[in-house]
Amino acid sequence: MSTVKIPGVNCRADTIVSDPVNQVKQMLSRRERERYKRQMMLFGDEGQERLKKANIFIAGAGGLGSPVSIYLAVAGVGILTVVDKDVVEQTNLNRQILHCDRDIGRKKTASAEEKLHAINPDITVKVIDTTIDESNCAQLVGQADGIVDAMDNYPTRYLLNDIALEKNIPLFHGAIRGFYGQATTIIPGKTACLRCIFPSAPPKEVFPVIGVTPGFIGMIQVNEVLRYLLGTGELLANRLLIWDGMTAHAEEIAVVRNPACISCGTGHISKDTTAVKAKKITTGKKK
Amino acid sequence: MTVRIRFFARFRELLGTDIVVDAQKNKGLSDLVKDVAGKNKEGYDAIFDEKGIFREYVILMQNGKRVETSDAPAIRVADGDEIAVFPPVAGG
Repeated sequence: MSTVKIPGVNCRADTIVSDPVNQVKQMLSRRERERYKRQMMLFGDEGQERLKKANIFIAGAGGLGSPVSIYLAVAGVGILTVVDKDVVEQTNLNRQILHCDRDIGRKKTASAEEKLHAINPDITVKVIDTTIDESNCAQLVGQADGIVDAMDNYPTRYLLNDIALEKNIPLFHGAIRGFYGQATTIIPGKTACLRCIFPSAPPKEVFPVIGVTPGFIGMIQVNEVLRYLLGTGELLANRLLIWDGMTAHAEEIAVVRNPACISCGTGHISKDTTAVKAKKITTGKKK
Repeated sequence: MTVRIRFFARFRELLGTDIVVDAQKNKGLSDLVKDVAGKNKEGYDAIFDEKGIFREYVILMQNGKRVETSDAPAIRVADGDEIAVFPPVAGG
């Protein structure tokens, strides 16, 4: 078994535990063997079974979530959980390739479920029509093997980052604007977290975008997820990839953990401490 | 001495990229970026606030190493330095 290479760290991707009750389901059917034949030339039965056993949480079914979920589906990742709160709008259709004209006005989750099932009926697609917030994030992520950040705002990204750290599961970050994009892979305890890299959110805006940009960054994210699950190659760990679609130039910047990070460093306040503080404040108000 | 400044994403649209500056010796990093960004008001305003302080989300790097923007006024640039200035992008 090959290992995931992180500078200074080697981590095996064999923490994905099979469920003995569903052992039979996890064996590849004849149809699956045919479907995945060309990629099994790369990583064999073992690799394909790893993908089949995996459960990936995709936060968002928009510009990034569309290509991400489609390519994870065709690769045969066994369980995809897609969360989104929005309905399909005409302005989404230049980039959100899971949805089409007839889906306008429909919930993105319903559209995503239908398309992904049609693309690959051999995987399980779970969709959740809700807003990811502090009260539900941990429960929504559940026992996922990885979180794909396909969100369009930093407050939710920071929530996903905190839950990834808390649950010790990787976060595959991607973000885009116009012809520009960025991606990195966060391995809790081993790499810089999202807040180490971006301690402050940029201002909110209606961002310009051309569909190829989330397509490109989404593919980087999927490539990371698959190699993480397969335990092969070198991840974008402690490396921020920056894509400039205007010059067709990709470059990377080395990033390091911030010892004082409020999410993963000494600046972190545990939920328990926060709860105690909140209780004290509440009590104080009552008095 | 020459210093190369590279802007990314929105900053690049407003200010261009790979700008080679003939900088004075002991020039402060913050002042250097201000001089270059000052050629386009919108670009300057995207990077600095009304007090001339880096906006909190701006990422600043010197020769591939992250620099805290609050430290930038005191940091001197050297011949051959490469400075990267970029905003996190937020869309998805």
